[in-house]
Amino acid sequence: MIKTINAIMVFTSIAGLVGVYALKYSVEDIASDKAAIERKIDRQKGELSLLRADWSYLNQPAHVAPIVARHQAALNLVPIKQEQFGLMGSLPMRPAAPDTAALDDLLNSLDAGIDPIQQLIEAN
Amino acid sequence: MALISEASILLDGGRVSRGNLTKARIRWVIVALLLVFGAVAGRLIQLGTTVNDATIEGVARDVITATRPTLLDRNGLEMAVDIRVPSLFAEPRRIVDIEEAVTKLRTVLPELDEAWLRNKLTGDKGFVWIKRELTPAIEERIFQLGIPGIEFVTESKRFYPSGREASHILGGVNIDNQGTMGIEKHMDDDDLALLQELGIARDQALTPVTLSLDLRVQHAMYEQLADSLIRYQAIAASAVTVDVRTGEVVGLVSLPDYDPNDPGSINAEYRGLKNQRFNRITSGIYELGSTMKTVTLAGALDSGKVRMTDQFDARFGVRFGRFTIDDFHGKHRVLSVPEVYKYSSNIGTIKIMQALGKDDFRAFLSKLGFDKGVPFELPEMRTPKVPEKFSEIVAATASFGHGMSISPLHMAQAYAGFINDGVMLPVTLLKRSEAEAAELGTRIISPQTSIEVRSLMRLNALSGSGTRMNTYANGYRAGGKTGTAEKVVKGRYAVGTNLNVFASGFPLDDPRYVMVVVIDEPKRESPTTGTTAGWNAGEVTGRIVQRIAPMLGISPDFSQMLDDQLVPAAIR
Repeated sequence: MIKTINAIMVFTSIAGLVGVYALKYSVEDIASDKAAIERKIDRQKGELSLLRADWSYLNQPAHVAPIVARHQAALNLVPIKQEQFGLMGSLPMRPAAPDTAALDDLLNSLDAGIDPIQQLIEAN
Repeated sequence: MALISEASILLDGGRVSRGNLTKARIRWVIVALLLVFGAVAGRLIQLGTTVNDATIEGVARDVITATRPTLLDRNGLEMAVDIRVPSLFAEPRRIVDIEEAVTKLRTVLPELDEAWLRNKLTGDKGFVWIKRELTPAIEERIFQLGIPGIEFVTESKRFYPSGREASHILGGVNIDNQGTMGIEKHMDDDDLALLQELGIARDQALTPVTLSLDLRVQHAMYEQLADSLIRYQAIAASAVTVDVRTGEVVGLVSLPDYDPNDPGSINAEYRGLKNQRFNRITSGIYELGSTMKTVTLAGALDSGKVRMTDQFDARFGVRFGRFTIDDFHGKHRVLSVPEVYKYSSNIGTIKIMQALGKDDFRAFLSKLGFDKGVPFELPEMRTPKVPEKFSEIVAATASFGHGMSISPLHMAQAYAGFINDGVMLPVTLLKRSEAEAAELGTRIISPQTSIEVRSLMRLNALSGSGTRMNTYANGYRAGGKTGTAEKVVKGRYAVGTNLNVFASGFPLDDPRYVMVVVIDEPKRESPTTGTTAGWNAGEVTGRIVQRIAPMLGISPDFSQMLDDQLVPAAIR
């Protein structure tokens, strides 16, 4: 009887020992993994902060304005004038029915080989 | 039996003595166990009470790695962000070979002084900074050296993507990331320092702070003012734009300025002067000249003692003892109130102030908050100089903006109140909605007087000193008042050195914004132009309005009807 109890106790303690050590090592492993991930997060946060700073720098009017100035001649850019603004209210109302007569005229003249729109563009 | 009994006695004696021995052994074991457990307990207590020294040269590690909230402009564009940068430190007590460490470090950082570095690394200290705020590339190279006792800590560094453009608003931080100027200082004084101390302000988890500023407007103002410094060879230029409905400052520029990313630029010189730090809008107090006439007229009209149709005799200068105050470009005839404003008549303004009464005039200035600094987020603020009690002559000069000094921000706040139906809102740099603003307003003049003041301002743009402004800002219904004040040099007014001001509002049919532009000591742009405010401060205002009005959602309108409504034919 005592022998059996002793044997059980010895086995339990060995099993316990193995279990505790296994747990200890796995915890250490997880802890080092965690530390590695934390380091990585930290590094990536640092990189992210630099990228964000870059992004906001590139979006600044102070950064965009010199670029505009550099390409002003090539792209023919000029500041907008007050006269160039319009209001929706100042647009003419849509005609009640399509102007069929004018459309026929346009198609006829296109058939005849005259493009009034092209002429307008050339005249300007 | 006797033997046995003898033996049993012997045995008995043996048992007793064995029992005694056992008891003694148990006692010793208990003592030994107590000692062992006592040692364990003692060690535990010792470990428990050990304070880990987490400070770096007296500053908590958390404070150094603490972040500051991102600053955004009103449209969500970043104006100040934190970037995480490595900083190099050493633990001298862990360094094995100092000479080797010094030589190796100097291969990567040759700018470090050899003797200084050796001195730093020698000794038994636990922590010394070697170089702060390095780049990740340098960090990598120093890692490669593999010197024991040389380590890195990630610090937060403040970066201002907008560079110089909003320098005076943002202010700056020191190397420990604590605000030293501007809104950064304000945030620290507020509650950020406390958060950092508690270690909460970490890991960029702070809510961003949204400012009232519009970076596009700020940029346009900055560009135009920088241009004005060259165009008029002025020594300084500054401007502020305020939303009249909420009191929000949408743009504030003061030149010369500095680069908040490069603290050394604060001490740079501009035309022989070292005043880059100086915010002319908040901490500059000036005699703002004729722009004060709007204030005088608003007060007089609001009191009911003066009406728009009243006439004032401006034929002769006003005499105060030995002094005679005359008009700059005088008409020397009887002028109506709108004419007094349009021709900027000093005599007329004095007469209007006298009709109001000097004590009422002084009380009106108090109502506008001209007695003390504007309650504002920026710590750079100076108390205005307005005499406690006005004598006849001081009241007379003050009515056209001399003998009292206020900041341009005071003027902007008052003008905003005049055109916002007479309700003045405290100016702010933080975003504020119209609903929030509604509770903060104070009535300074009646809505009727507000309409009259707007008529006067628009009239001045149509046919007075603001016409040059209006040619640029055409269509945006802008109007305002010029002020050309001779500067006091060595105790007397110096002819030719002017401080030129233009205080304006737009669009005056539905007021939204107020702008005050100050140009310090401008020269003629060309021989055919003048040096008065209309030629420089006025033109700059016009150019700025032309650029920023579309950004602020104001569309141009050229209809004559609007101007006819704003400026009735009766006062033209």
